[in-house]
Amino acid sequence: MGLLEPTREAFALLLQGDPELLQIIWLSLWLSLAAIALISPPSIALGLLLAKRRFPGQRAMVVLVQALLSFPTVVVGLVIYLLLSRRGPLGSFELLFSPSAIVIGYMVIAFPILVVFTVSAVQGADPRVYETARSLGASRIRAGLTILWEVRFGITAAVVNAFGRVVSEVGCAIMVGGNIAGLTRNMPTAIALETSKGDFAQGIALGMVLMALALGINILMALLQGEGGLK
Amino acid sequence: MSQPLLEVEGVVRRLGGRRVLDGVRLNLARGQCCVLSGDNGSGKTTLLRILSGLEAADAGMLRFQGVQTRLPGYPDDWRLRVVYVHQHPYLFHSSVAGNIAYGLKARGEPRETWRQKVEEAIDWAGVRDVVAVPPQKLSGGEKQRVAMARAKVLSPQLLLLDEPTANLDADGRRRTMELLARLFAEGVSVLIACHDRELIELPGVQRLHLENGKLL
Repeated sequence: MGLLEPTREAFALLLQGDPELLQIIWLSLWLSLAAIALISPPSIALGLLLAKRRFPGQRAMVVLVQALLSFPTVVVGLVIYLLLSRRGPLGSFELLFSPSAIVIGYMVIAFPILVVFTVSAVQGADPRVYETARSLGASRIRAGLTILWEVRFGITAAVVNAFGRVVSEVGCAIMVGGNIAGLTRNMPTAIALETSKGDFAQGIALGMVLMALALGINILMALLQGEGGLK
Repeated sequence: MSQPLLEVEGVVRRLGGRRVLDGVRLNLARGQCCVLSGDNGSGKTTLLRILSGLEAADAGMLRFQGVQTRLPGYPDDWRLRVVYVHQHPYLFHSSVAGNIAYGLKARGEPRETWRQKVEEAIDWAGVRDVVAVPPQKLSGGEKQRVAMARAKVLSPQLLLLDEPTANLDADGRRRTMELLARLFAEGVSVLIACHDRELIELPGVQRLHLENGKLL
């Protein structure tokens, strides 16, 4: 089997705006954006807290969040599956194999990325930011928000990175979403399914979209870092 | 005799087994300008940071406008009345006006009044010609003047300035000295840590000298 024909078909699918393909792309982006929008505020707040405040267990929390970064996503999926399954503690909500289950999984995956990046950005901030804000009469919360504003390029990089991570995530999405056409089938799970069926055209088309997204995200991050470097 | 604005007693600060401040005691009258001199590492900056609540002391007592606190405690509402300016002031990534407005906004001042105050502070500090320049692109002297305007606009009851004329070129230093003279004339209570001989010898200022953590 040659690669030429499926690639040509993939381009045709993209150029013709194949409805099934567009629906998968739309669902992927929507679920990823929803998860990032929901998990970013608490994760960034926790990152700020871990970076700025000293309290018992703070170091252990940082180590735990860092450890979560290296957790296999399929294990995250398994844990969420067990929690959401009919006999699990959250089974009564009937979320398993729904878009909400995927959003929950994405949130869990994005959480440590957002926290660790925020801790790193805030710890890298000039200590005079907080001191100046406090000395000018800002409350602790306002001074904290001022730090986040001063390191906004680092925070934006965290959000962009987390989005890039979840939009291409497959293990957890298959486990808790079930890869149901029109409901929970997203780009990575569709690629896995179509490839296993020997239908490479749709897989290649979605792969190209994912690669374009990855490239776009990296260009955006490079631009942000360049902008931050102008400080 | 009227009550001093600030009374400091027995302030001790230890760092790495060394007593940076060793029982410092001072009184500052309302409207007075006090210059605190001393060698590098003598504890000038540490004392200013303790007085502004940015750094904790190990022991001592502060009485500000008759209200007493035992260190390392520092009442939060004092932060609205005591303002500290770093030796190398940090200007936020906003505009010059945004920097000057920061403290007013933090205090919940209505927009219509803070805008007027910011305009007046810009003129007071003589930074009208650089209002459109990003703060990070300003010279050291311009940054210092914006930081002084940012502090002065809050009408602090005590202004703490850390080496305001250090590391400035001749013009920056001259213009900062003019601002300081204006502060003194306006009766703002100021405590300045500095090495600057001209500033130390200004007429009418109270002179204090820190040596080995003790005030002479």
